[in-house]
Amino acid sequence: MKNALLCVASALVLVWPAMAQAQAPTAGNLEKLSDFKTTGTPMDIPQVPQTGAKADAIKKNLARIKLPRGFKIGLYAIVPDARHIAVGPQGVVTFVGTRKSKVWAVTDRDKDRVADEVKEFAPSIAFALPNGVCFSKDGFLFIAEQNRVLVFPAAEFFYEGPDVAAFVVVKQGELIPPEEESYNHTARVCRIGPDDKLYITLGQPFNVYAPEKMEPYKKAGIGGIVRMSREGKDREVFATGVRNSVGMDFNPKDKALWFTDNQVDGMGDNQPPGELNRADKPGMNFGFPYFGGGKTRTNEYKNQTPPADVTFPQVEMDAHAADLGMTFYTGRMFPQKYRGGIFSAQHGSWNRTTPVGARVMFTPLKEDGTADKTEVFADGWLTENGEYLGRPVDVAQLPDGSLLVSDDLAGALYRIWYDGR
Amino acid sequence: MTRHRRAGRLVAVVALLLATAAPSAAGDVAAGRRKAIACQACHGLDGLSKLPDAPHLAGQPERYLMKSLDEYRKGVRKNELMSIVVKDLSDQDIADLASYYGAIEISAQPPK
Repeated sequence: MKNALLCVASALVLVWPAMAQAQAPTAGNLEKLSDFKTTGTPMDIPQVPQTGAKADAIKKNLARIKLPRGFKIGLYAIVPDARHIAVGPQGVVTFVGTRKSKVWAVTDRDKDRVADEVKEFAPSIAFALPNGVCFSKDGFLFIAEQNRVLVFPAAEFFYEGPDVAAFVVVKQGELIPPEEESYNHTARVCRIGPDDKLYITLGQPFNVYAPEKMEPYKKAGIGGIVRMSREGKDREVFATGVRNSVGMDFNPKDKALWFTDNQVDGMGDNQPPGELNRADKPGMNFGFPYFGGGKTRTNEYKNQTPPADVTFPQVEMDAHAADLGMTFYTGRMFPQKYRGGIFSAQHGSWNRTTPVGARVMFTPLKEDGTADKTEVFADGWLTENGEYLGRPVDVAQLPDGSLLVSDDLAGALYRIWYDGR
Repeated sequence: MTRHRRAGRLVAVVALLLATAAPSAAGDVAAGRRKAIACQACHGLDGLSKLPDAPHLAGQPERYLMKSLDEYRKGVRKNELMSIVVKDLSDQDIADLASYYGAIEISAQPPK
């Protein structure tokens, strides 16, 4: 496979100079790339400026961020609409998804721990809500869109040019039935599990769905998590009773899948709680729509008997704080207390009277693999007047053990490191 | 600020003249700015959309904003998010929010 890719790469290098005309992404490009053909997209991919007034303003805001003693935060990259993060296993490129139409490739060429290059990834492909990005250990980048999943073998190798090897894992319109497509709760998240399968979260599109949706959603894994082979085969529903999960990661120690879940709106400022859940086997039900978050029953289903086997969250987070991306910390840079624990991002509430969230949280685990007490790790993006200066979306670990945080309001990646001072 | 006051006064005049305008209160820009905290996640405090399916509100005609919010409140228009946030809005809230977002100055440059 590696030799074949190298051959294709050389072929691409040979034909590049011949490309002339600017070309917008078209539907046919994906087929060309799957055949290792070029699309004629110009070789020069514009870069996102990394200095100037915007960078200065973001740096100024970061001076407000409070962290435990010995930790520092800095601007890593300007990345418009930055959502979920996939750090390349070779440590070359970090890919960042968006809820719009672009995926960004972020490179720190000189390894000074600040990115020097941010440009569009695979610009010849038309993406739709490419929020979910994740890597397999052997360097295959998966991108979960609104209703399609693509895979990019050797993405860290091909990303320099506009034409990258790209293949379809789940065809357009087959991740969910097209009639269920919505913009609401449609930011997918993906992970490759310890079983080498592809896991994808599928938010259900309503606040609380109507009873007639229950059976079809259960079957499709909407309002749940699905898994399939890396080729998109043998799809099965892994977890149900989830409202809208926008973050998950496997505990490398016991292989349990942990995920965040965003809970029901319109029940007041202080209920129901947000969730951090643990799925240690397939087939578990996490309680939605009978429960709107934690043990709070939804008004819509309050007269119905919930399933007997509902699993409640490991951690109840602040109501409406919008817990999104999460990662297990496996690095060595941070002190012992953080190793093996969970960092998770709170996007911040959207309509709470007094906003809450816009923080990075830390949850240590007990010896038995269950959650210990969650604490605030980084906050300060929310002003006294309730204005957001930034909204954290995802957290990811760099090879040196520092932590990246994405922010889709500021359009940036931050880096948090520990120097003990 | 002068412009804002003028905008607020305009809303009052319009509301008085047109009996059909649903919420009839006069909007207060500063109050609207405070109340827009509950709108910022999707529409921004600057009135520029932060979500793929949320519209810009900056510089929107106030009358249109009042009409839209009232239609969501009555259930004439439905949206998973909007139908939740308008539930508790008073006529005064709607007028204030419309004044604030309507008072944001914008400029447009059509593609050449």
